[in-house]
Amino acid sequence: MSRLFRKTMTWGSVLLMLTLVLSACGGSKEKGSESSPAASPKASESAKPSESASAPEDVKLTGDFEIQYFVGGYGDAWWKEVIGEFQQLHPDLKIKESAGPKINDQMKPRWIQGSPPDFVYIDGAGSNTRQMVTDDQLLDITDWFKTAQNSDGKLLSDMLIAQPEEYQAGKVHAVPLVFGSWGTFYDKALFKDKGWEAPKDFESFLALGDKIKADGQMSVYIHTGVYPYYINGGLLDPAIVAMNGYDTSIVKKINSLEAGVWSSEPVKKALDKIVQMRDKGFFDKGSPALNHTDSQSQWLQHKAAFIPNGLWVESEMANDTPAGFDFGFLPSITQDNGGKYVANPYVATVAIAKKAKNPDAAKAFLQFLYTEAHGKSWAELSKAPSNIKADLEATNAPALTKEASRFYNSDSTVVSPEVVIPEELVTERNNATLALTKGDITPEEWIDRMEKATEKIRSKENK
Amino acid sequence: MNNAKRAGSARMKRNVFILSFILPTLLLYLVFGIYPLFKGIYLSLFDWSGGSETYNFIGLDNFKEMMNDDVIPKTIRNDYILVFGKIIGFMLISVFFAVALTRFNIKGSGFYRTIFFIPNVLSVVVVGVLWRYVYNPNVGFLNSAISAITGKTYDFAWLGDKWSIFALLPPSIWAGVGFTIILMIAGILAIPSSLYEAAEIDGASQWRQFRLITLPLSWEQIKTSVLWIVMTTLSGSFVIVTIMTFEGGVDNATQVMGSYLYMNAFKFGKFSYGSAIGVLILILSFITTVALQKLMNRENIELT
Amino acid sequence: MKRRTKFSGSRWLMQSSLFLWALGVLYPVVWTVLSALKDNPQFLLGRPWNLPDLPLIWSNFSYVWEKYSFGHYFVNSLIITIVSTLLGALLSATTAYVIARYAFRGSGLLYYSYLSYMMIPAFLGMIPLFFLMDDLYLTNRALGLIIIYTVTAVPFAVFVLVGFFKQLPKELEESAAIDGASHYGTFFRIMLPLVKPGLVSVSIITVLNIWNEYIFALVLVNDPTKYTIPVAIAVMQSEMQYRTEWGPLFAALLVSMGPVLLFYMIFQRKITGGITAGAVKG
Repeated sequence: MSRLFRKTMTWGSVLLMLTLVLSACGGSKEKGSESSPAASPKASESAKPSESASAPEDVKLTGDFEIQYFVGGYGDAWWKEVIGEFQQLHPDLKIKESAGPKINDQMKPRWIQGSPPDFVYIDGAGSNTRQMVTDDQLLDITDWFKTAQNSDGKLLSDMLIAQPEEYQAGKVHAVPLVFGSWGTFYDKALFKDKGWEAPKDFESFLALGDKIKADGQMSVYIHTGVYPYYINGGLLDPAIVAMNGYDTSIVKKINSLEAGVWSSEPVKKALDKIVQMRDKGFFDKGSPALNHTDSQSQWLQHKAAFIPNGLWVESEMANDTPAGFDFGFLPSITQDNGGKYVANPYVATVAIAKKAKNPDAAKAFLQFLYTEAHGKSWAELSKAPSNIKADLEATNAPALTKEASRFYNSDSTVVSPEVVIPEELVTERNNATLALTKGDITPEEWIDRMEKATEKIRSKENK
Repeated sequence: MNNAKRAGSARMKRNVFILSFILPTLLLYLVFGIYPLFKGIYLSLFDWSGGSETYNFIGLDNFKEMMNDDVIPKTIRNDYILVFGKIIGFMLISVFFAVALTRFNIKGSGFYRTIFFIPNVLSVVVVGVLWRYVYNPNVGFLNSAISAITGKTYDFAWLGDKWSIFALLPPSIWAGVGFTIILMIAGILAIPSSLYEAAEIDGASQWRQFRLITLPLSWEQIKTSVLWIVMTTLSGSFVIVTIMTFEGGVDNATQVMGSYLYMNAFKFGKFSYGSAIGVLILILSFITTVALQKLMNRENIELT
Repeated sequence: MKRRTKFSGSRWLMQSSLFLWALGVLYPVVWTVLSALKDNPQFLLGRPWNLPDLPLIWSNFSYVWEKYSFGHYFVNSLIITIVSTLLGALLSATTAYVIARYAFRGSGLLYYSYLSYMMIPAFLGMIPLFFLMDDLYLTNRALGLIIIYTVTAVPFAVFVLVGFFKQLPKELEESAAIDGASHYGTFFRIMLPLVKPGLVSVSIITVLNIWNEYIFALVLVNDPTKYTIPVAIAVMQSEMQYRTEWGPLFAALLVSMGPVLLFYMIFQRKITGGITAGAVKG
């Protein structure tokens, strides 16, 4: 065996050398020929504002039309319904649905190869609208969007609660479909039982935390450690805004990757809140290994009092919710005594692929979605508010949604813009925050890592 | 003349036969086996993000970026924790069981041999899912058992810790050790029994027999096992890591080179950087196998 | 007649550790079966060693088989495994035969280049392979996986089969030649049947490897209708972040484990024999 092995290794090394030499030569020579794209970009690359901006029924749509949508807490009932309606309207259109909880990972190779679906709903783990714009994967619909009408003949932009985020200055690439909210959740029934009061500020949160700990029945705060963007969205981001004196401009600075923003005073103070919670032992020790449903079912089982999450949690856990559980929502828990709540919205968008093979159908579908009727059906089927203006009074929107909208409409709540940063930075922030909650790193190290990672991306984007 | 012609045509036939038996395999092998390896090395010298737009030759810049990437040392560390942890675990267990099953005339040794190999026929995916449940902080086997025994709630996150890479060792050993046990058994059985009989007559203890006969004479199998562990770990650790800790655990605590390659390429779209990590894996596994080969040869000499 | 060792402490230690390890190997398998018959509340109890409550939740299996399409994935895996194993056996037997029985230039190079492929981490070529397969329209298709599995099965099979072919006596070909058999006839009618044991061993190992393979299937297939079982299980595990379904998850594990365990029981000797065949001889 050893002789054989030696011989094999020799050949292996010959092969390796050969490979290295060949590839080194190839490096300079083959560059030109290699760059001929495997899948050449399709002819229709930019949006043509003139046609198809009117009501979608006018156009006869044919051909293939692929829709990618993520299925998470909101379920897929709404999508099934609207796609079914759209199909009826355009019987000649061959609609393909690429959907599921893992769809973002599954479709990623196709986006990279340049053979994406036509229409995409961007939501869930691994999705990042900003990154897709940076990678030039989404169709620029700026001009089209200005005049586009929905099926009822109303301007699309008039139908939106939140207007499209400009990932590139002055450009529209994606339209918000979901307007939900991050926040801190608790069981009102449990709190009533125990005589606990939902905290109004960080001080009262800490006091209550001590009480819960002393009670010894459950941990104070559980979170989704496998996906730390939950604790970033539900705890850290509102804290940063609160610590900036409720001035939301700091989020803009974060989003524009401004140097020094992570080492600014508000971020430091916000991180200190996490450190305080950590040092008091509030974080559930199992958290770092828990995914969404693991952590949520623990919380539903009263193994923990608080959880950072989104409004979708109620419908997501509908099957596993014990009787008598009463969902309570707080936009933020980190504000100073007497301060305001900071609400951190959760926005998910829809967009058209730049390399869509059937952009006309994609545009028509987009126009078709944004009607008041669909806004209502979203609220009913997905049990959460959408970004479509619709009168929800008559609908059976769940209590949590109504409670959230009370906060959003209140004077004592500041609504912050969303943090949207490149995917690599999202990953770095997830890692750093989780490490911080475990005490593996200090806030200074957190800041240092974020500044470094941001610098890296900044220098690359400016190249 | 006629003879020569016939010989010529026979030769021709022979050559056609050889070619027809070699070429189909070779062709597939070159296109789908070898070409991607070359292309991988080639790609590592470029700045390429999957699409066709940016495809610039940047020489060794990817490797320079690797030097400044804080995650890379972690992945290398983790891969070697797995490699050496597995070598130690595998060899201790398999030598011990192989000796027990061959030299000690134990009842049911055939049964044990059959049983011990079972985890090896399971997919690593299955093993990973099973063990992820074992480690589940709240409802999993391990913590539930500890809680039940101590009477206090125990909720340590085995897979959510800075040192979770060590938690991946037991499943890896559980899943793979059957192979080296079988290998060691075969090695020991190949040792002439006359040697043991002679030692017995000399009154050598079991331990002495092990040290003087079993170990040196099954050294080839030990070496084979060790090299097998190195190669399968460096190229296969990706599976157990992604199944059990998804994107590399808390703050890349369990990230290995393979999973980091995958993440860079298929999550961030940094394909050339991913290829460079592939080259790193190739170089490291090459160095490691050669070094271990050398090391174990020397020890072999000392032993005998 | 073996020597009688005293009933010593070390013997007792060996007995008990053998027993414990066997338990440690068998229990998870048994436990998986039991857990596949539980529902969610039973899992949340935190008493995983409990036997499942009655009535047993048999519906977990039909749920996984139909709603989660494991019936479909089972067929995918089965077809891919069978076709690539057969193809791999044919392609490696032909090459191994020529390498072992014919002297020609480059035969050594050929042999060792196949062997060294076994030592190169396949991961290095993963990214280019993905794009190559995509250019050839082989991603998201069973054919793509079949090709790549065939290719990866070849080196080990060549290695083992060359050994088998070399052991056959020289007279076989000579007498075949006298009988006027062609090269092809000699191979298919005489030589190939004689190495059947080797072919079987190699194929069995190939079957296990392919049935369990995850990395290639993950990278080359992202269309949910084309999944193999390992990919489907991994996806199902990560989907559990949106709905907790422990029972069905373990039922899915059984879809993967069941066939290989059965297979192992039937071919147990050949499997362990085949695996050590190459390694011990050297």
